[in-house]
Amino acid sequence: MRRGLTFEGVAVAGIGMVRFGMLRDYALMHMARDAGLIALHDAGMTLADVDEAMVGYIGLTSMTGVKAMKELGLTGLPVTHIENASATGLVAFREAAWAVSSGRADVAMALCFDKFTDLAARGGRGGGRDEIDAPILPASYFALWAQRRMHDRGTSVETFAKIAAKNWNYGAASPMSHRQPDHVVTVEEVLASRMVARPLTSMMCCPADDGAACVILAREELVRAQQPERPLVRPLASALQSETYARGHTFVGPVVGPSTMTRDTALECYEAASLGPEDVNVAFVHDAFVNEELEYYELLGFCEPGGGDRLVAEGATGPGGRIPFNTDGGLVARGHPGGPTGLAIVHECVQQLRGQATGRQVEGARVALAHLVGGGSICTVNLLGVTD
Amino acid sequence: MARVPIEEGYFRIPDDPEASPVLLGSRCPNCGEVFFPRRMVCAQCLYEGTDDVDLSIRGTLWTWTYCEIPLFGKKDTDVPGYGVGQVDLPEGPRIQAILMGGPDDFEFGMELELDLEVLRTNSEGDEVVIYRFRPVEGAA
Repeated sequence: MRRGLTFEGVAVAGIGMVRFGMLRDYALMHMARDAGLIALHDAGMTLADVDEAMVGYIGLTSMTGVKAMKELGLTGLPVTHIENASATGLVAFREAAWAVSSGRADVAMALCFDKFTDLAARGGRGGGRDEIDAPILPASYFALWAQRRMHDRGTSVETFAKIAAKNWNYGAASPMSHRQPDHVVTVEEVLASRMVARPLTSMMCCPADDGAACVILAREELVRAQQPERPLVRPLASALQSETYARGHTFVGPVVGPSTMTRDTALECYEAASLGPEDVNVAFVHDAFVNEELEYYELLGFCEPGGGDRLVAEGATGPGGRIPFNTDGGLVARGHPGGPTGLAIVHECVQQLRGQATGRQVEGARVALAHLVGGGSICTVNLLGVTD
Repeated sequence: MARVPIEEGYFRIPDDPEASPVLLGSRCPNCGEVFFPRRMVCAQCLYEGTDDVDLSIRGTLWTWTYCEIPLFGKKDTDVPGYGVGQVDLPEGPRIQAILMGGPDDFEFGMELELDLEVLRTNSEGDEVVIYRFRPVEGAA
């Protein structure tokens, strides 16, 4: 029988990332190297200390991960490629945590990188899509969700715009965010931006970025010995699910749903951790299109079905709110290069749990939730916690 | 001039140019669930060996949008926008497809009908076609 994973004696040793963006002049291999080195330095390690690596990306060819790891040195360590569309980074994190928890590695690295500006320059939309459905873009797909939500629940487009403005404004406070507005972004500004696929305007959509990020996990006692002054951040539990068939599943075209996948994956993760949404202090979700974030408030159990609009109206998911979401700006502001996105989320979870998220810190954050969906479709929910 | 599908196995092109194309589906003889496109293993009960069925040419619009930015990563383009929707067929499958019509032509629950659009002419001089859904006359 399938169960959520729990991790025994595993802690985060180091985090590193390059700020996402349209980094056309920044070579892919150099981004990967830099993210890896920042994480190794944060951990006080070199590659000689790393027993195993999980590498992930979406838009690149076979072998790229093994080659990228050579930028950090050639030590003979096992390297495994992980790919799960937009969920890739979190799944690489999960597998690295499991490598340590299982006892087969004392130190494991998750390293992800992608260059979406190259994909866009080729005019492509990534591989693996049937030619027959090529014209349906991700923005259109999630706009279908938004339109149906408005029809079913009476959600207003202003609610979507409020979520977008919140995430843009969080981006301004996050040094690692791609989008760092120099003014307070307003609902009106979001609504006035260019229409992409109704009701989604460009400021409600994530940028297709370049970037790299890395997380190093290690035996808890190693991290404690090396970093006695730091709060210890640990992966607590993880769940990963693909689709369970239900009437309404679309087999042709992009698909991330039906929405029950996020609900079921979250339940599996909460159960494994013996925690519930009431224990979570800060959450991160796949807000590639901001209407998704509204759905995930409900599907992750932070309010009842249909209650997301009220959370937005109350400001519950913003600064000082009951359950802040996407404090690094989310995919919409921090950016979404594909593979590395999940590790950027872990990066922010760790900063929040270490109490280092200056300007956006959730006071007293003890438990963080990291969720992503990936096209195809796939969903992962992960919980991290801190002990002093 | 012959008409050929953009990809085999999804739909059948009638000889009569006035007739509707037909989507090719599968029906599970064990649990009765119907799928598009065709598949051998039932996604619901895992029975191996579904039956081929032709699907209805009309369905109802479950949700829709109108995409103004047709190409990934391209901001400046003169390619016009297009509708995108999910259409529920009476047999059960929900079909995701491009919609024919303008931005103000769609309503939730409206009736749509399958149609073909010519994408290009190939090197043999055949018209390469793809299926779309369009509002049934007078349905909006």
